[in-house]
Amino acid sequence: MDIQDQIFDNVHDQLSRRNFLGQSSVGLGAIALASLLNPSSASATSLFGGTSPGENPAVGKPHFPPKVKRVIYLFQSGAPSQLDLFDYKPKLETMWGQDLPESVRKGQRLTGMTAGQSRFPLAASTFKFAQYGPDRMWMSELLPHTARIAGDLTFIRSMNTEAINHDPAVTFFQTGSQQAGRPSFGSWVSYGLGSDNQNMPAFVVLLSKGRDGDQPLYAKLWSNGFLPSVHQGVVFRSGPDPVYYLNNPPGIDRPSRRRMLDYLTKLHQEQYKQVLDPEINSRMAQYEMAYRMQTSVPETLDISKEPDYIFDMYGPDSRKPGTFAANCLLARKLVEKDVKFVQLYHQGWDQHGNLPNDIRIQAKSVDQASAALVMDLKQRGLLDDTLVIWGGEFGRGPYSQGKLTRENYGRDHHPRAFSVWMAGAGVKKGMVYGQTDDFGYNVVNQPVHVHDFQATVLHLLGVDHEKLTFKSQGRRYRLTDVHGKVVKPLLA
Amino acid sequence: MILLILLDARASQPSEWALFFGHFHPLVVHLPIGFLLVAALLEVGRRLGKLGVEESTITSILFWSAVSATIACVFGYLLSLGGGYEEETLNDHMWQGIGVAVFTWIAWAVKSDWLGNRIPAGSALYLPAFVVALVLLGLAGHLGGSLTHGSDYLTQYTPEPFRTLAGIPPRKTAIAFKPITDVNQAVVYEQIIDPILQSRCVQCHNADKSKGDLRYDTAEMLKKGGEDGPVFIAGKGLESAMVKRCLLPEEDDDHMPPKGKPQLTEGQVALITWWIDQGASFDKKVADLTVNEAVRPVLASLGGGGPIEKGGIAVAGPAPESPVLTMAVPAADQKLIDEVKKTGLLVLPVSKEKNQLEVSAVNARTFSDAQATVLPKISQQIVWLKLSDTKVSDATLAQVAKLKNLQKLHLEQTSVTDAGLKNLKGLAHLEYLNLYGTAITDAGLAELAGIKSLKTVYLWQTKVTETGLMTLKKALPTLEIVGGVTEKTFTELARATPPEGKGDEQKKK
Repeated sequence: MDIQDQIFDNVHDQLSRRNFLGQSSVGLGAIALASLLNPSSASATSLFGGTSPGENPAVGKPHFPPKVKRVIYLFQSGAPSQLDLFDYKPKLETMWGQDLPESVRKGQRLTGMTAGQSRFPLAASTFKFAQYGPDRMWMSELLPHTARIAGDLTFIRSMNTEAINHDPAVTFFQTGSQQAGRPSFGSWVSYGLGSDNQNMPAFVVLLSKGRDGDQPLYAKLWSNGFLPSVHQGVVFRSGPDPVYYLNNPPGIDRPSRRRMLDYLTKLHQEQYKQVLDPEINSRMAQYEMAYRMQTSVPETLDISKEPDYIFDMYGPDSRKPGTFAANCLLARKLVEKDVKFVQLYHQGWDQHGNLPNDIRIQAKSVDQASAALVMDLKQRGLLDDTLVIWGGEFGRGPYSQGKLTRENYGRDHHPRAFSVWMAGAGVKKGMVYGQTDDFGYNVVNQPVHVHDFQATVLHLLGVDHEKLTFKSQGRRYRLTDVHGKVVKPLLA
Repeated sequence: MILLILLDARASQPSEWALFFGHFHPLVVHLPIGFLLVAALLEVGRRLGKLGVEESTITSILFWSAVSATIACVFGYLLSLGGGYEEETLNDHMWQGIGVAVFTWIAWAVKSDWLGNRIPAGSALYLPAFVVALVLLGLAGHLGGSLTHGSDYLTQYTPEPFRTLAGIPPRKTAIAFKPITDVNQAVVYEQIIDPILQSRCVQCHNADKSKGDLRYDTAEMLKKGGEDGPVFIAGKGLESAMVKRCLLPEEDDDHMPPKGKPQLTEGQVALITWWIDQGASFDKKVADLTVNEAVRPVLASLGGGGPIEKGGIAVAGPAPESPVLTMAVPAADQKLIDEVKKTGLLVLPVSKEKNQLEVSAVNARTFSDAQATVLPKISQQIVWLKLSDTKVSDATLAQVAKLKNLQKLHLEQTSVTDAGLKNLKGLAHLEYLNLYGTAITDAGLAELAGIKSLKTVYLWQTKVTETGLMTLKKALPTLEIVGGVTEKTFTELARATPPEGKGDEQKKK
């Protein structure tokens, strides 16, 4: 039986008619009724098991034995240009300056930024490409460190999405819908599988500071949506105070905090008996989790004992809190402690103009640390059951936005074809999956839609994407909505 | 107009109009079938007195049966002009069809108001004509089906014992293709190409129905080609007719399979092209050919086991699961699980349907040798054990030795030593062993040489030397050894200039 139905029956049993009328007289019935009528509030349960109030969400069971136990998603916000990093297109060189043929564009809608252009002159990448690793993967000179780990990577060159602007596209990748309000990928995983580490949340978010004027990121991207709020992504920052409001205020010590929580729990339990609102359980679980995190977080994130050669491996930025490199190091520390889903966002890939210069700076800020993270996980034996994902919300087009010169050009958003790489458990090392046309504009072979990608990652986690559902407002939702196919050839 | 088309049809090339109407034959032909059967059922009902039907109603239905049967005959003739049907069957079908029309007309005529009275002994003819029309209808219908779908279509799935009783030869098992267990070892034509042809082409290119004089049902016939000559040119996939036609736009008249029929997928076309490019061999295996980027994922998706051969012809489906994950083990007693949990260990089923368990000390960093005695209580079920960063030492490994189904073992950052590793010898399913950050030396590595199942071992920050690694590598050549490098080389790795890429440096100005 469905968990939500169980809860509903539970509520139903306890709210006998006599009780209900009695409580109505003091006004509480109205609140109870409200919670009854609002099925979106469910208790702090994971998909496969219930939990008693005040406990960490029960740890769930995968549908089949998982290959991946943890995910680190290095989200490259702003959309990296696959044509300057991964997808080598010599044709753009021979057709440099000519218009993108209409037979290739096929009426693809454009953003307001280039829709008014009278010409769409093709811009070849100014960067050198070469093939790396045993499987001879194409990569540009912008990613010398990533090139080193080519043998550990799995490339999807045929990603495609539906959105053409940042906010809907990131939201689509993270929640399966372009409109806000659905649970984030990490929240679904937290809901489905729970947390192995009872002292840490299953879903942690790391934001790395981008450059000024970047596309913004919103808390909705790591929101639990209609799932119980324990599954919300918890934002960790680098530095002495990683989680906002986690430390006790001045003058409150740990024992008095404990006493306060114990009294609060009693009150909450009273309230739950009256109201039966499962969100109260969520709230209690959160308080207890926060209490445990007061000690577990500083311990987990303590990088003072990291040797110099580790910092050197991640690059000089790794010593500066809040940088991508520092967050990659934190991500490793989190998965070492079995945090299920670490979502890292790095801003600054939105090169509409001045691309050759800007993308060089941007690539430099992520290249070494991304590669170091994969190597570091591998040395520790973590890459065996951790999946690292690297990619943005869409790609960039082959024609120049603005004036095209031999030295300078810009690229506008492009949803029909872009590249994402993965490294780690369950996927074929050294595989390049999918193919784009000579312009890098259309996928010609083995397309992978965002929903397919989500289905595949869930599959690796041992979850059938069609079975991980939650009923809200009268219908069942899933991360992949009504779409998505597991990309089986990618599986190792 | 039909007459004009018929006259025109006698020219050597049937006109478009002829074929256009001809293609309506399969549609129109069902009208007389339905009408005649309705007429027959009504007639029976009327004669038994169960139905209050006027004779005129049945006569009227017979009239329309006759009209539609006649049209079906004409259309059928036009369709046959397109060619590609087995002569004899076609001839029988035609005469039976005409027979249906003629006898239906007779049955109608003897009953009709203004004709019936003028035919001598008319009413005596009614029933025989009706019955003959029905019999012919059945025969013509059957042969029509045989022409379209092949003569064995109707009965090909006849189950035993009726199959033997009816004298139908056993089903050709060659059609039930050999399943691919390891795609590298699959015979390309027999196990990959032929199944595609059988499922997408043979319906119209077989012994009974050979459109374009072309047959794909056997390798010999495929080599022979059709009326336009050979269908493939070995070594030139994209120039071969059988590929070219698939790549034409679906609207094109020459596109194959014809519009509306199940089409080949891109992957299937890629496979056929690749097979021809590689010489169109009828006996070579995948491993004998060069696998390119275009077909690698398609081949991989054909499934089959076998590890990916690095640098070789690296195609394979997902590797098979370890036997410890697929075998059936009884569920562990909940009381015993609770006992294990009391020590702070996390105990999780590996999945909903499995009784195998994963045990982790992620929440029990003080887990010690004394507590490890609980582990054998669920020895059969534990497949993954994570004791990293705890207080365990060699004494715990004596308990671990009893976990015969262990597949993954995390001992990193513990105080286990060489002496403890002796205990792992009997773990016949151990694939993953993490020893990074322990005091293991070459002597400990030597203890691992006997664990043939071992796939990966992690040795970063241990005391093993190059010599020890070489010895282990010799004993277990397929073992992946991660780590074992010094911190200095690690740093250098991270700092060094990028590896030499093989590429197109000459391209850039």
